[in-house]
Amino acid sequence: MKGPLIDTLVRQGVSRRTFMKYCATLASMMALPPSAGLAMAEAMASARRPSVIWLPFQECTGCTESITRSHSPTLEGMIFDLISLDYQETLMAAAGHQAEEARHNAMKENAGKYLLIVDGSIPLDLDGAYSCIGGRSNVDILKEAAEGCAAIVAMGSCASFGGIPKANPNPTGAVSVSDVIKDKPIVNIPGCPPIPVVMTGVLAHYLTFGSLPELDAKGRPKAFYGETIHDRCYRRPFYDQGKFAKTFDDEGARQGWCLFELGCKGPVTYNACATTKWNGGTSWPVESGHGCLGCSEPDFWDAGGFYKALSMPADPLKIAAAAAVAGAAVGVGLSFANRAKKGAAKAAHETTTLADLEK
Amino acid sequence: MTLDSIPIHVIESPPAEPGLSGNAPPLLHELAERVRRLLDSGETSAIDLGALPLTPSDLDWLRIGLGEGEIAVTLQANGESTLNETASPGVWWVTHRNEKGAVTSEFIEVAFVPELVKAHPQDVKIGLERLELLISDLS
Repeated sequence: MKGPLIDTLVRQGVSRRTFMKYCATLASMMALPPSAGLAMAEAMASARRPSVIWLPFQECTGCTESITRSHSPTLEGMIFDLISLDYQETLMAAAGHQAEEARHNAMKENAGKYLLIVDGSIPLDLDGAYSCIGGRSNVDILKEAAEGCAAIVAMGSCASFGGIPKANPNPTGAVSVSDVIKDKPIVNIPGCPPIPVVMTGVLAHYLTFGSLPELDAKGRPKAFYGETIHDRCYRRPFYDQGKFAKTFDDEGARQGWCLFELGCKGPVTYNACATTKWNGGTSWPVESGHGCLGCSEPDFWDAGGFYKALSMPADPLKIAAAAAVAGAAVGVGLSFANRAKKGAAKAAHETTTLADLEK
Repeated sequence: MTLDSIPIHVIESPPAEPGLSGNAPPLLHELAERVRRLLDSGETSAIDLGALPLTPSDLDWLRIGLGEGEIAVTLQANGESTLNETASPGVWWVTHRNEKGAVTSEFIEVAFVPELVKAHPQDVKIGLERLELLISDLS
């Protein structure tokens, strides 16, 4: 379907006011001034749906799940009417040669204008043989599709930074999109998976202004990745008061105190979870009682333990002194002591401490 | 020696309302400025309440302070939206909800009529076509 967007929407029973309301909310989420909502509505209503090609590489389809699991019919669902998704292996009806043909046709008809979305990392070892589609390596397909695109959206932590496939020891030689493509504008939307509205927000920005939004040093849109989880966390006041949960089931945890000492990576993680939340605004990891894993940061998997506090307020002097006297034997002794304690805790149904989780 | 002998006395300050951050009162000054601009030049504007560090109590404080006006508009579009005039004409409290009733965004709009209430010329044209169709059915 070609033609102005508003016509397409009207045919689907979406009124102009519904659309304007959507734009107002989207502008608010993207931290744009309220007047931008109206500008967006005007621009998007008359825009023609851009062709979008979505390439899945070394990935788990979690990113696609995230986008399609937005509660329908929502804002996120609506925006998929705003683009022409010409190739998406998971969602498209065509298969095999037909699917490949659809991709080639879209690339030819919209040369220089289509938006390329990539999820998953790209393996480079063994000439890219670790991941192939239709007998061709991912790196080959990416280079071909990137040549005629207007811009690339790297969806999820794998496409943005290499993600879990790149985790030590990186057996496939996985790299990010920006490691392969150097001559196109790339916007990274990391997260494992990313938040649906972040994805649609970037698309809306592209539709409205014809350009990608302002990006930070890691190529992420500042509107959503401008602040840390910690700075926007509703538990932040407890951090400031020095009130920390020490285990996952103590009084502090029940009172909703800060999860910093339980390994929360909120202070070093830039993402919008604390404000947009998940599952239609129901909740988010910290609200459900678990610290942030830092999934929108590069190499979060190898960042040294999900339950390890960023800086331990423990008793470093005592440990250092003991280690100096007894040497390596202390480490072994500690490990045994902890194992014994863990067993005893299990038997007595005692509270498991942070130290237990780390051994 | 008793406490009374200390020559410094604490003046009992009224206890602050729990949950108030103190961020709401300055908004009234900003609103007043915006209303002045509306009167002088007809310039409309809006404040995105979601973008400000306001607690639920702050919002209640603002809402009660601004009061209720004569007009309350309800818009049914992918969930209910309310566009209510406050006790200060020209200042509107706009709340957008999704189809489940959860608030998706909230604004204070300064305008003679909120933008969303006005009919778009394109839609008016479609309405006219419908009217003409009705008339042609008469004959």
